[in-house]
Amino acid sequence: MKVLEANKIGELAAALSAAGWRVLLPIEDGKVVRLAPWSPGAAVRTDVVPVNSIKDALFPPSEVIGRFGLDGGDFTVQEAPVDTAKTAALCVRPCDAASVSLLDTIFNWDFPDAFYNARRSAVTIVSLVCASADEQCFCTSVGGRPDGTAGADAVLRPAEAGAKLILEPLTDKGRALADAAGALLSEATVTADEPAEVPQKFDRPAVTKWLAANFNSPLWQKWSLACLGCGACAFTCPTCHCFDIQDETTRSQCVRYRNWDTCALALFTQHAGGHNPRIDQAARRRQRLMHKLSYIPERFGLVGCSGCGRCQRVCPAGLGIVEICQAIEDIQKVPAR
Amino acid sequence: MNVTESIRADAARLLTEGRAKMVIGYGLRNGRSVPVFLTEPQGADSLHYGPQCTLNLAAYLARPEVRRNAPLAIVAPPATLRSLVVLAAESQVPDGSVLALAVGPQEYHGVVDVAAAAEIVRKHYASPEVDPDLAARARELAAMTPAQRSAFWREQFAKCTRCYACRAACPGCYCRRCVAETNMPQWVSTAARGHGNYAWHILRAFHQAGRCVLCGACEAACPQGIPLMLLNLSTAQEVQEQFGAKPGLDPAAKPVMGSFRPEDKDDFIR
Amino acid sequence: MIENIYQPTVMRIAASRDEAPDVRTLRLEFAHDQTRRDFFAAYRVGQFGIYGVPGAGESVFCVASPPTRQEYIECTFRRVGRVTSALADREVGQTITFRGPYGTHFPIDSWRGRNLLFIAGGIALPPLRSVIWNILDRRSEFGRVAIVYGARTVADLVYKHELADWASRGDVQLVTTVDPGGQTPDWTGRIGFVPTVLKEAAPSSDNCVALVCGPPVMIKFSLPVLTELGFTPDNIYTTLENRMKCGVGKCGRCNVGSLYVCKDGPVFTVRQVMAMPQADL
Repeated sequence: MKVLEANKIGELAAALSAAGWRVLLPIEDGKVVRLAPWSPGAAVRTDVVPVNSIKDALFPPSEVIGRFGLDGGDFTVQEAPVDTAKTAALCVRPCDAASVSLLDTIFNWDFPDAFYNARRSAVTIVSLVCASADEQCFCTSVGGRPDGTAGADAVLRPAEAGAKLILEPLTDKGRALADAAGALLSEATVTADEPAEVPQKFDRPAVTKWLAANFNSPLWQKWSLACLGCGACAFTCPTCHCFDIQDETTRSQCVRYRNWDTCALALFTQHAGGHNPRIDQAARRRQRLMHKLSYIPERFGLVGCSGCGRCQRVCPAGLGIVEICQAIEDIQKVPAR
Repeated sequence: MNVTESIRADAARLLTEGRAKMVIGYGLRNGRSVPVFLTEPQGADSLHYGPQCTLNLAAYLARPEVRRNAPLAIVAPPATLRSLVVLAAESQVPDGSVLALAVGPQEYHGVVDVAAAAEIVRKHYASPEVDPDLAARARELAAMTPAQRSAFWREQFAKCTRCYACRAACPGCYCRRCVAETNMPQWVSTAARGHGNYAWHILRAFHQAGRCVLCGACEAACPQGIPLMLLNLSTAQEVQEQFGAKPGLDPAAKPVMGSFRPEDKDDFIR
Repeated sequence: MIENIYQPTVMRIAASRDEAPDVRTLRLEFAHDQTRRDFFAAYRVGQFGIYGVPGAGESVFCVASPPTRQEYIECTFRRVGRVTSALADREVGQTITFRGPYGTHFPIDSWRGRNLLFIAGGIALPPLRSVIWNILDRRSEFGRVAIVYGARTVADLVYKHELADWASRGDVQLVTTVDPGGQTPDWTGRIGFVPTVLKEAAPSSDNCVALVCGPPVMIKFSLPVLTELGFTPDNIYTTLENRMKCGVGKCGRCNVGSLYVCKDGPVFTVRQVMAMPQADL
């Protein structure tokens, strides 16, 4: 098996950069760890879930999907370029890699999205099996595992108490990356460490079943009081993919952007005429939860959540998927006598 | 009784006596401080208070789903007391609709209305302690040239994804339609990049100038670690220097950036 | 050259007509003939398009003209916001952008030999107008055609000159109404809310398909009348209007339950609408 010294991640990044890849790694930036472009000297941190996910590299917070030349009252339709920069995303959490299948599905549903697909083709995802998890992690509750390989082109498995990493290519892209690593990889036989333990926090199929029957439950009001209606959860979430389209102009050019958006924000469903079908936060919080755990499973056979725990880590009010799924389970429990 | 016990007792009493239909306080879930919304006195035991309570609960006073439960009572550490006073000064808190369970770092001041809350602030919390590290960074920032400062902020704002968690967590941001979400006309770019991010943060800093109570909820809410308190502290210091004004002391005070006094300096007009 | 699903085609405004206060119809011609052919090869009545002005943005409206008329398409909209204002400000001869056709269509081929009842209110006539003209352009294939259309006031009625056309045809039964107080001194139509007038008109449900389009309150009170007349949820159709942006099932805005109005609609039977988590869209 191919083995990399764990303290040589930086050298691997350097070798890949030299071979023409843009390398993304979880990098410390002040208080935050972010999956970001690597540069020599960057402080790589693989012990925490970064605040953002591989979603950013496939579907960035803001990208150009249209261009127009403006000339007084006239316009011409112009090309909007796609991003094809060869990218290696290293040490991606398995939950993030697993979430890519939903993004692939949505962005290719009948109408293939060239912007997403160009990035997708250009990105090689190398996940790192989790040696540790925190109390917010819940991948095992939504069909994932800390050593899962779904969505990864290659996987790094810690071995020898984390001193070494076994690199296992899974796809052609993964093999190409392993080749580029060259002499940094040695042939050896080592035993992979046990991955992190992530206890199950709730029964997802039971929650999905409850959701389908309880759209009108008065509990939504109670469960949404603390929700401040911001986009922190949806934007850091690896599976959330809703967006807005906005034009911006100078005198001679109009650029059409696609920007992240979220059903949690009040204006998401606001009609120009003044009507808003999701008039309060209860309706909006319900939509986010139903979309992820009820509508997406029903429609696409996938779970719209990868259990990464970011929603809970970032929510200013401490809300999240686990919190509400456990609340749903609580109300179904027969009280002990 | 310790602070938590006092808060619980008063919360239960307010609900039982009907002086509040809802108490907004802090609870604990898995060791983390979270907001709780009590409507029954029996629920008072879920209230906790401790140093980990950093969310400014006054942010909930603007939400219609919460307001419809008026009269409200809110567990209020010093920053929240200051928020209440600012909101009252801006006519956002109808008389008699909010009571505060006023808490200090060491003591519990009891149940107060907005006027008494202002008195407590003036007496005990008029000059809030600023974290020394933050103060040092603010001095560093002030010593930079405008070009350096601008470059610093541009780098910080580049991390912003326009999630608006800062706005949502801030009690001072209660506009029904935020200027960043108006499209007729489109004042601010909504794209999470470059000038749009810069415009958004500077705009918000200016809208908070003279109103920000330095509670830190915005920076705590920011998923990207943008040092918003540095921006707010710098702005607050500037406002205090230029206008001698500090928010949160007087519920009858006119908003400093929204009002004109003949004595205001005009030496910038050349 | 990559295929950009968000890239629009260019349309020239061939004609424009004010229908009602702030309501405008634009007749649009494709700038490129091949695009026109491709469009009409795909377009079925009931589908929608996305119309835009670069710089202002894009807006979603039904295609208000039928596939039987292939020289142009029409759209009718009310000036309410940034994009509709920009569209309404464009003049004849100027261009706008267009993407479409998107969404599902009315299965009119399966209605051959059947009677048709159209019920519409106010600005919601345009999606049904395209079906009405589609039917009238293939008149012999269908049975009785009855239309009940009302608006708040006489001024708010759209397609006024077409209403006169339909009224004067011998093969269409048209009932128009305005809300009480909305009539002018020379108004000769009915006076009353659409559901009330529908009940009075009592059209037969025998071998009949109903299409209903209007404000939620109108639909809410029309459905019991239709049920009483013998219509079932499978033979009442409607078209939903929802806030949309991408139109191609990705941006998530029009998601209702496990359906997306841009992919599974905008045409739905009432049975499908009743199964949605919220009827208020």
